[in-house]
Amino acid sequence: MTVTLPEGDLNGRLDHYLEGFRGRHELQEASVEKNVVRLVIRPDLLPAILTTARESLGVLHLSFITVVDLEGSYELTYELLDLRGGTVRVKTTLEGEEPVIDSVTRIYPTANWHEREAYDMFGIAFKGHPDLRRLYMWQDHFDHHPLLKSFEISTKRTFEGLR
Amino acid sequence: MSLDILNHEPLRFLISFALILFLVLNLAAILTLAERKVSAYIQLRYGPNRVGPRGLLQPAADIFKLFTKENVSPNRADRWIFLAAPIAMFIPAAAVWLVIPFAPEAVVADLNIAIVFFIAITSIGALGVIMAGYGSRSNFSLLGALRGAAQMISYEVPLILSLLGVILLAGSLSLVDIVNAQSGGFWHWYFLPQFPMFVVFYIAGLAEARRVPFDLPEGESEISGGFMVEYSGMTWGLIQASEFASMGLISALHVTLFLGGWQPPVEFLDLGNFDWIWFGLKTALIMFTFQWIRWTVPRLRMDQLMDFGWKILVPICLVWLLVTAGVMLII
Amino acid sequence: MIREERGAGEQTVEERASGRLAGTAIRDEFGLETLDMNMGPQHPAMHGLLRLILQLDGETVVRCDPVMGYLHRSKEKISENRMYPAVVPITDRIDYMNNIAMEYGYCMAVEDLLEAEIPPRADAIRALLNELGRIMSHIPSIGFLLLELGAFTPILYAFRERERIQDMFEAITGARMMFHYIRIGGVKSDLPEGMPERMWEYVESLEERLNPDFIDLIEGNEIFVARTRNVGKITQEKAVEMGLTGPPLRCTGVSYDVRRDYTYGWYKNLDFNVITDEAGDVEASYRVRIGEVRESIRMIKQILEALPEGEVMADLGRRIRPPEGDGFGRAESARGEYAVHVVSDGSDTPYRVHYRTPCTVNMQLLQEIVPGHYLPDIMPIMGLIDPVSGAWDK
Repeated sequence: MTVTLPEGDLNGRLDHYLEGFRGRHELQEASVEKNVVRLVIRPDLLPAILTTARESLGVLHLSFITVVDLEGSYELTYELLDLRGGTVRVKTTLEGEEPVIDSVTRIYPTANWHEREAYDMFGIAFKGHPDLRRLYMWQDHFDHHPLLKSFEISTKRTFEGLR
Repeated sequence: MSLDILNHEPLRFLISFALILFLVLNLAAILTLAERKVSAYIQLRYGPNRVGPRGLLQPAADIFKLFTKENVSPNRADRWIFLAAPIAMFIPAAAVWLVIPFAPEAVVADLNIAIVFFIAITSIGALGVIMAGYGSRSNFSLLGALRGAAQMISYEVPLILSLLGVILLAGSLSLVDIVNAQSGGFWHWYFLPQFPMFVVFYIAGLAEARRVPFDLPEGESEISGGFMVEYSGMTWGLIQASEFASMGLISALHVTLFLGGWQPPVEFLDLGNFDWIWFGLKTALIMFTFQWIRWTVPRLRMDQLMDFGWKILVPICLVWLLVTAGVMLII
Repeated sequence: MIREERGAGEQTVEERASGRLAGTAIRDEFGLETLDMNMGPQHPAMHGLLRLILQLDGETVVRCDPVMGYLHRSKEKISENRMYPAVVPITDRIDYMNNIAMEYGYCMAVEDLLEAEIPPRADAIRALLNELGRIMSHIPSIGFLLLELGAFTPILYAFRERERIQDMFEAITGARMMFHYIRIGGVKSDLPEGMPERMWEYVESLEERLNPDFIDLIEGNEIFVARTRNVGKITQEKAVEMGLTGPPLRCTGVSYDVRRDYTYGWYKNLDFNVITDEAGDVEASYRVRIGEVRESIRMIKQILEALPEGEVMADLGRRIRPPEGDGFGRAESARGEYAVHVVSDGSDTPYRVHYRTPCTVNMQLLQEIVPGHYLPDIMPIMGLIDPVSGAWDK
């Protein structure tokens, strides 16, 4: 099986992506900056939007998932690449202490370990993930999620004066 | 008073047996150094060069280190099997040296069935591998032992088949007779008429000695040492010694069966009682090629190894056996 | 006939949480069980500290479950607690075989935040060292592949090359491994006198040595071909699905290279090919790597021919304090796409730094393609992915 990658003019393609998302979904924000289509969406729409991206628009590659702990809410960034210069950056915000979001492993199988990492580091539960174990931290007797801002480390003190 | 008493039976056998043991153990030590030096020169390094002149005393240092190391055995290991395995590996490798003729009169036991003796005794080596792997009670060593058993038993077949041509030509199972039948210059040596058999014997010999590319029982990159993964100290040293002894043994058998044993390549180079020098030179040459291969090629996989043994080596042997027999019938 | 008594889906939560192998005893019709084997974390062929929980049926792997984290050094948390310039040496230690690309990606992300202009000479030097770093990483990785197949010699030849490149890096950066050379806004210092000539001489000689010392020694070997051809076969679809990047993706024929498709720095001025291969097995990945070494040599020559003059450091002020927002940097490391996402809250330290290391993602391939292969095939498959312990564990 060969994979067909998108071709043609980058700007035209980005506009096509933007229109594709706009026409199908309800978006909070949508814009094109340089080679990036920025989308801000509600968390419950995430699987639908990523399905659109992969199935309808042909954005094949999930680069990474970044979680940012905003102390009270979590901002998730899904960076999708069409492998030919175009980027789709989907941002969504999860509220609350026990964040849950739908897993996208069925759409992008590569999300498997990205989501495991996010679960490990932030405790975000991914609904429908096939194998949600910790990726880095030890599996037994470790109840922390180290990248949360509430997880203090001692070296922080070193730089307090400079802040 | 003459030293003739040394030529009488129990004494002669005991002395020569001690000499053989001395030879085999020293051979292992020297081969360790040779292996390291050869590998170093192949890899553009110097190799060991600190102990003694040009690193020549390195084996002594190695052995001293091995003797001073603690002999650790796993808690769950089957202690007796675990400790007996290196011995079970070393004894057969050393025992076959008894029938190797070094020079016209220098053979410990001139058996008339020496080849059968060789085949029978080397098979016990596989037992040692199984004992080591099974007795360690580790997954890695168990896999190594299974591989070793499968490999050594299936390569026994081409090894034996490749000997049949020589036996046909010489009409004898005695190694001394075989060497005598090859006298009169290198064009009488059996590696010329029996060249395919020589190649098969060489390859099967590599497999019997568990050398790269057939070092699957060891497989240090996948099963990290295989059957000897749990050994340490002198038990490990004994396994190594038996590996090198069997490598030397296979080389010596190459020389005896295919390269004319102690026979000089041309008549006028006959050294009389010092013909063992020829034997040693030829054996060293074969051992060097073993080491050369060891440091050049990667290792085969188990299924490829089996395919190679059964689908290529065995048919070659059978075909050439028919050819040899047919030619002998006609002439 | 193998049938599973209990599928992976029926595994209890406790079992999953404890990291023990999922599912488990598989019995065939004779009632024989599979062998559970724990490969690593201390294992000679695991490229560092990786634990593979294997289920073996004879020599065939039935299930492979990689467990990582034995070299986790919490790079992201440390980065959050250091000032922006002080994170650069941290990134050095992520992928210790190809550090320059790691620094490059992070610096690009922060420069994206600052919207800084980089002097052209600094850009050229960055690309120059990045390509040298790629050679320095690809050649040993070919050596490691052969080492794991059982041939010990090529690794020493490979390390001879790495050693010479390291000597040059030592002259340029002052360090042999953890360079800390690319800084936010440029590079630490200009190239020392005579370095371009020395580099030119070296790449010329490497080009000559590549054939006799590596290609002839490796490719002509029947056993190498037998061990690597059709081993670890990946289809294009699978590769894209798994999010592979770098040589593992390109060896299937998908032509994706961050340097060309998401071009950055000096690469837009360079003329280079993206090496691809159709086969998608271990041998193809080896060919891709050798081809990339050749391309890197070509690129180094191009850069050296047209090395611009001028400053090597932009003036960004003494304290780097980017505005609030997101900064993204994406670089092609020797192992694939390396991306950095820096979130700034306007202070001296990053609010959040996320490193997308190619190894972590490419390693997912292990659990997908190892089952069905023989146990010794794990080693060439690791050679295909060529992970680095520091990079997958961060």
